[in-house]
Amino acid sequence: MRSLFEARSDFPILQRVIHGHPLVFLDNAATTQKPQPVLNALLEFLTHSNANIHRGVYQLSEDASEAYEKARQAVADFISVKDSRCVVFSRGTTESINLVAQAWLRPRLQAGDRIVLTEMEHHSNQIPWQLIAQERQAELDYVSITDSGELELDHLEQLLTQRPRLLAVTAVSNVLGTINPLEMILDLAQRYEVPVMVDAAQAVGRIPLDNWAERCDFLAFSGHKLYGPTGIGVLCGRFQRLDEMSPWQGGGGMIAKVGRQSSSWAAIPARLEAGTPPIAEAVALQAAIEYVQQWGVSQIRQHEQELVAHALDRLAEEPDVKVYGPSQASKRTGVVSFDLEGVHPHDVAQILDETGIAVRAGHHCTQVLHERLAARATVRLSMALYNTLEEIDRAVLALANVRKVFS
Amino acid sequence: MSESLYRDVLKDHMHHQRFAGRLEPADLKAVVHNPLCGDELELTIVLVGDPSEGTHRLIQEARNQVRACSICVASASLMGESVQGLSLKEANNLGIAFREAMETGELPESPPEFLPPLMAIRKHKSRIRCAALAWNALEECAQQANNPT
Repeated sequence: MRSLFEARSDFPILQRVIHGHPLVFLDNAATTQKPQPVLNALLEFLTHSNANIHRGVYQLSEDASEAYEKARQAVADFISVKDSRCVVFSRGTTESINLVAQAWLRPRLQAGDRIVLTEMEHHSNQIPWQLIAQERQAELDYVSITDSGELELDHLEQLLTQRPRLLAVTAVSNVLGTINPLEMILDLAQRYEVPVMVDAAQAVGRIPLDNWAERCDFLAFSGHKLYGPTGIGVLCGRFQRLDEMSPWQGGGGMIAKVGRQSSSWAAIPARLEAGTPPIAEAVALQAAIEYVQQWGVSQIRQHEQELVAHALDRLAEEPDVKVYGPSQASKRTGVVSFDLEGVHPHDVAQILDETGIAVRAGHHCTQVLHERLAARATVRLSMALYNTLEEIDRAVLALANVRKVFS
Repeated sequence: MSESLYRDVLKDHMHHQRFAGRLEPADLKAVVHNPLCGDELELTIVLVGDPSEGTHRLIQEARNQVRACSICVASASLMGESVQGLSLKEANNLGIAFREAMETGELPESPPEFLPPLMAIRKHKSRIRCAALAWNALEECAQQANNPT
């Protein structure tokens, strides 16, 4: 297996110079950069194999259909799903979760029902539930987090005893980096017979998923956070759950037979993939998965652990920096959010950009979490397989420039 | 360069915001947010004059209570300085001039005093939203005055 030290050269964008400085890309929780094999796959497909799928009888269409279904199989294998019919392609995590909310939960949701979320959910695993809860007069409950940014499992259990219709939980916090104890959460949900939707956007390709995809009811993630292209995501679920879903979007590709007044639907996954899907993106996602597999998720995890441990150590030396989330690196992915005393996170990010350092500032689509942290916004460093310890050092050293400007 | 943006142009307003705080009671009030970062700005305005008695309604005082980044603070400070004593229409016209300048990158022939220092922000497109917050609040106040509930 190649060492990750060789990985940087696979990512052409990392050669870029920003404001006269080499790019340090530390916004990988938002999106990751794309390695050459992914770029090649995209270009290769569009150059030589492009056609619509499942429609034509001609060779190109046959090829495209085969490539698309091969990508589905690659996803299934990667996340240990035995039946590739249980892998639905979407535009991303957000669309996957909205699909479950609209096509599965909404028809089953009644006034007074409860949906359990957590205080650390991304808006994409909060708003879809809020929309249908408001419509059906259902209630949302939020599992509390501790001051160190971990889920209060006692509180979770207490909420599950009320037999909610669904538990929607993130595998990893996009702000705190907290890795939630999904095994325990799935055990608890199973005990109370509560279906579980897992937002795995920050987990896939970063930490081993074990058998989560087979154990939970629904699991969603995006291609672009996994070194793949934007515009492609995955919803996987138990066959029975997906099979009992009515169509959400209507259109081509999702029908069995169409009449003037009524129609019948295709089997899953086609039933849930109306219209021309992101075909080239699916093919490139397969390339991204193969790229990740070439390193191995364990090696990536170990590398990001070293980076985040270093970042936590370095930031702990800065007296005016407040770090949010678990203090132990082992409880996190490569994500660190912090506050620099007296300077707004936007201003920190702006000045870091001056030396080519790309970090995110804001509420990172988690306003409930920021309210809980009593922080309006934070600065976030988020790492990927190509980042280095030196890059972390550069980011921390650059805080001195921020202080200088704002002194 | 944003360092020079911070250092030369707006720093004074960032550190010493003019017309900060809130007026209580106020004739007009607007609370606006930047949805991208959750920043918040509250504009309160006290008016003077009564059209029924033949005098124009003018802004006697306007203050911004800001929980936001330095660009937003500086822009609110410049806005505060610019609108005291103006009619709401005149004040809102300054906001229109701000938006046009941000969009086109060109200053009007005789630009209002507050505008040239803000032009440096235009290079950082994502920050225009920060600078616009105070003017958005003013627009909302002007609308309230036109459509009293």
